[in-house]
Amino acid sequence: MSDFLRIQDVSVAYGDIQALWDVSLNVEEGEIVALIGPNGAGKTTLMRAVAGLNPLRSGSIYLADKALHTLRAYQIAEQGVILVPEGRRLFGGLTVLDNLELGAYPKRARQVRADTLKLVYELFPLLADRRLQRANTMSGGQQQMLAIGRALMGVPRLLMLDEPSLGLGPLVVESIFETIKHMNEQGVTVFLVEQNARQALELANRAYILEQGSIAGTGVAQDLLNDDRVQQAYLGICPAPEA
Amino acid sequence: MSAFMQTLVWGIFAGAIYGIAAMGLALVFGVLKILNIAHGELVMLGGYVGFWAFTALGWDPFLALIVVIPAIFILGIILDRIVYRNLNRLIGEDKIKNSLLVSFGLGLVLTNLAQWLFTGDERSVQPSYAGQGLNVYGVLMPYTRLATLGIVLVVTVALHFFLRKTYPGKAILATAEDYESAELAGININRVYMLTFALSAALAAIAGQFVTFTYALAPSIGMYWTLKAMIVIVLAGTGSVLGALPAGILLGVVEAMSGAYLSQTYKEVVGLVIFLLVLILRPQGLFVRK
Amino acid sequence: MTPASRQSSLFKQYRRWLVPGAIVVILIFAIVFPQQMAQDNIWNLFFLMSLGIAMGQSWNMLGGFAGQTSLGHAAFFGIGALVTRTLWFHGTPFVLAFIVGGVAAGTFALIIGAPTFRLRGAYFAIGTLAVAEVLRITVAQNRPFISTMPGDMISSYNLPARYWVALALAIATTAAAYLLLRSRWSLGILGVREDEEAAQASGVHVLRHKLLALGLSALFMGFAGAVFAYKQISYYPEAPFFPTFTFEALMIAYIGGVGTVIGPVIGGAFFVLVRERLAANLTDVHQVIFGVLFVLVVLLLPGGLLEIWDRSKRIMAKRQTKKLQATRGAEDREGGP
Repeated sequence: MSDFLRIQDVSVAYGDIQALWDVSLNVEEGEIVALIGPNGAGKTTLMRAVAGLNPLRSGSIYLADKALHTLRAYQIAEQGVILVPEGRRLFGGLTVLDNLELGAYPKRARQVRADTLKLVYELFPLLADRRLQRANTMSGGQQQMLAIGRALMGVPRLLMLDEPSLGLGPLVVESIFETIKHMNEQGVTVFLVEQNARQALELANRAYILEQGSIAGTGVAQDLLNDDRVQQAYLGICPAPEA
Repeated sequence: MSAFMQTLVWGIFAGAIYGIAAMGLALVFGVLKILNIAHGELVMLGGYVGFWAFTALGWDPFLALIVVIPAIFILGIILDRIVYRNLNRLIGEDKIKNSLLVSFGLGLVLTNLAQWLFTGDERSVQPSYAGQGLNVYGVLMPYTRLATLGIVLVVTVALHFFLRKTYPGKAILATAEDYESAELAGININRVYMLTFALSAALAAIAGQFVTFTYALAPSIGMYWTLKAMIVIVLAGTGSVLGALPAGILLGVVEAMSGAYLSQTYKEVVGLVIFLLVLILRPQGLFVRK
Repeated sequence: MTPASRQSSLFKQYRRWLVPGAIVVILIFAIVFPQQMAQDNIWNLFFLMSLGIAMGQSWNMLGGFAGQTSLGHAAFFGIGALVTRTLWFHGTPFVLAFIVGGVAAGTFALIIGAPTFRLRGAYFAIGTLAVAEVLRITVAQNRPFISTMPGDMISSYNLPARYWVALALAIATTAAAYLLLRSRWSLGILGVREDEEAAQASGVHVLRHKLLALGLSALFMGFAGAVFAYKQISYYPEAPFFPTFTFEALMIAYIGGVGTVIGPVIGGAFFVLVRERLAANLTDVHQVIFGVLFVLVVLLLPGGLLEIWDRSKRIMAKRQTKKLQATRGAEDREGGP
């Protein structure tokens, strides 16, 4: 299978402070790839760079053969690369339905808006129930569902999620990960950043580890789950005492 | 009693114009997050287009809105593309400060251009039915003022409908709330900004048209109307676009009352002093829930 | 020692004298030239330049150093003019009237300063604009009639004297700005500009530093207004309260390079020179050109004209480094020790 998303030697800086150093990674079509790593490693920076919110100091980002790093954020969304940002970032003053409809702003999404909406309501029945409710009156879990629903309205080819489990209870997190898996089975490629390394690795096919702005490791998710260093650093498993 | 009612009514009529003059500025501040000091100049230019339509084409001032609105709407697009677009890449405090300076320079340019083109003489427009109106229990209500109030109400409702119920309107509201999320959803925020600015210019132009037959028109009135609009948006609460109308009417009534019962000469000062007090004591405005 | 490095050390020796030397040259020019020319329009031009420099410097103290954008500086200009003119016409010697005028402006600023500084950023800006307008309208209502110098003052009118006062003020204001930057309050004031919360957290008494910048700024703007009252034979009492004067001060600071001491000097000279030139040739359009110039400066050259100077220095420095690298490279190739 071909490289779908190709991130090549990407460096990003905030003014004089460099956050990412020559990061390269790729996501193949139909995969779920996770990006794990400690707080402040630059995972969100990378996500935002792909989505077009952070400019690159150097490097390039391609989706299939289309260069993304030269496009504006809304154009990247039009290409089918949709980011669910960290912290939900909904349009709080607007209704659930408004948020969802606005998610279908790109032309290709707008054409199939009605059908996509039905799909989203099937996936998240509680959004259908609350469609006229203002977004900022909903709970964290409900808002996350709305955020994902909104992203799905854009008919993504590549769905990116930044910390989807942040601040949510375990049951909700589980339901959300179920949904992500379901979307992947429907053909959506997924690239996600997660603090919760265990859940991310259990969901993903492959993963990358980002530490201090550079890729520190990569591999098949199952292998990483069993790797000693990963276990110690990110899974909270202490090494067995020497016999 | 009827003197009191007359003053009140005058205040409401004046306030309606203040309200619509402020609505555009509130929109720009809420969506683009900039302060446009040249807003008053857009009011002034709107007035001049209407004045030209009246004197050259003999059009009734209300009819002339058909010309005034698109003309200044287009001017808004041009100004956004040439000047204000450059501010889009800034954020927060930086953006507001730069917008103050840039718009102030632009205001100077527009005022002096107007002075050069139209001379500094005061102009006024008096439609044929200017003096006529209703007389309700001794309270005079000229047709021109009633029509002004009516149009302002219609425009306010239309704006509400546009922002809350139409797709482009909701895109504007979304951009105002969280411009990054809006971009992530595929909304071209530069285009949203341009549309919003042009819309605010059109609203200013409507106010300007009313100014020509309610007050007098001259190139120097820009700063006066910018200040008026600012007073109103601070009273309304800087997030509230539709609150501009009740706030404007409140200001109009307070001014009229001060003029009648305190001192005619200081009624302008009253507005400014209230403005300063609200600014210092309750910066989120009077109409916004804390 | 290679020729290149010997050159640079000689240059370094003389560099220390570059700035003081330039200042002396400029001062000598400013004193001698108008006297040599002895023409009214030259005295006038130099007067306006000096006044512009003083106005720009004073606005800069609050807007450039402390980062508080004031759109109401005309209030201080106007108070200075009003108080000075009134006292002077009633028999007070000009020097005394001048001092009282400036002090009145400074005092007013300090009184309204504390409540006004509760506003931040843009709100502060429009708040100051409103205050200035309140004053202007009040003065216009109370003193609607034109203020003209009495006959004896007109017949004894000495234009060069006006210039000397303006020049002295320009020098004093520039010196004050320079000293302020060297004083023990400068770090606090600049800190407030950069990040108010951080400054507060570091123990800087934010309000006091803001008031200091405001007080000085208003004082000197008041003096500028006093000089205006000294020069103008007749004007409407509300005139010095017009926003035009705020905007001139602002423009001068920005065009020259806001936040620096030399910026307003460059800006004042440049602004007035170009304006008078344009006013002579293109009377109607010159204000338009200025507005456009101002917008361009704010958008493209946030550092003002000074930025052009800075950028060219950087380009020169880069070229110097490349030259040194090239000669060193040549040495290496020739097989140095």
